Amino acid sequence: MVATQKQQLYFEDVKVGDEVTPLTKGPMSPMHLMRWSAAIENWHRIHYDERFAKEHDKLPERLVNGSWKQHVMVQMMKDWLGPEGWLWKISFQFRGMDLVWDTVTAWGRVTKTYVKEGLGFVECEIGMRNQRGEEGTPGTAVGVLPLRGGRKVPYPFVPPSE
Amino acid sequence: MAEQPETYITDEVRSYIGRQSEPVTAWDAVEPGAVRRFIQAIMDDDPIYWDPEAARARGFERPVAPPLYPGFTFRRPPGTPDPLDRVKENPDYDGIGAGGGTGLPPIPNLPVRTLNGGVEAEFFALARHGDRITAQSRYVDIYEREGRSGKMVFIVTETTYTNQDGQVLAKVRNTTIRR
Repeated sequence: MVATQKQQLYFEDVKVGDEVTPLTKGPMSPMHLMRWSAAIENWHRIHYDERFAKEHDKLPERLVNGSWKQHVMVQMMKDWLGPEGWLWKISFQFRGMDLVWDTVTAWGRVTKTYVKEGLGFVECEIGMRNQRGEEGTPGTAVGVLPLRGGRKVPYPFVPPSE
Repeated sequence: MAEQPETYITDEVRSYIGRQSEPVTAWDAVEPGAVRRFIQAIMDDDPIYWDPEAARARGFERPVAPPLYPGFTFRRPPGTPDPLDRVKENPDYDGIGAGGGTGLPPIPNLPVRTLNGGVEAEFFALARHGDRITAQSRYVDIYEREGRSGKMVFIVTETTYTNQDGQVLAKVRNTTIRR
């Protein structure tokens, strides 16, 4: 068994400026990129064909898939919100390129908190940086947390009425 | 560099905004083996993705798949033309579009090089092992920006993923950059 159980985060535990627990993956070798491409049957050559990436697409190297990075951002938020929390919204842009052999760290910071219909909402600024310190994936996320002694976050999740 | 037109956003290209695909149901169900390969590739061993007991303890009837998994169930069905055959004509085929696709018609006369521009997702429920996912997509926006190496075209699509019970799992907006 993998020990992923930790203490549930409650809305009252979170304040603006708090850090989301960061999540690091890598170095991303060609094997990691190949494993991802194979798992999703995506044969876009810029992720595993060095000659194609450099000569045809004029890239500095094979790229770490944006389609892979998005799950790292999601995993960071999901793990931080805990089993009773819910990742409602997430968005990010792939602005920078992460290259084969890079190590990436997803990070987040709380920018706003509010209670609506008995649930705690936590807005975050999120991003991903590599070992060179390059920020390439700016975004935002909205998580939902229970209040201490409050109602459970409904599943399936029902967004609050506007 | 190949010569670029004054704009890629012609009236014809603009006419694709708002177009919606028919709902498409993935040929594959959400298979435990496919979920295993997927979570091993993203390196997330959360037991709700593979352990029935852990999933039940968290209120799921059976193991589930990661929030963005539904979009990855759309693989090429058997009995359809092999897109990798394109290398016979064009050894520089980039390998894009070899999956099941979104069901949206391709937009003609855009630059050939493709990048993933970004994602905007809203989650309501997780796909369970065994679920059958249906997707419906539409073109939300198509616009152009001047980049360092010339014009870039941004294509925004929104896809709604539903399970076989009609439960909406997620709405995902993807931005594709053609340059």
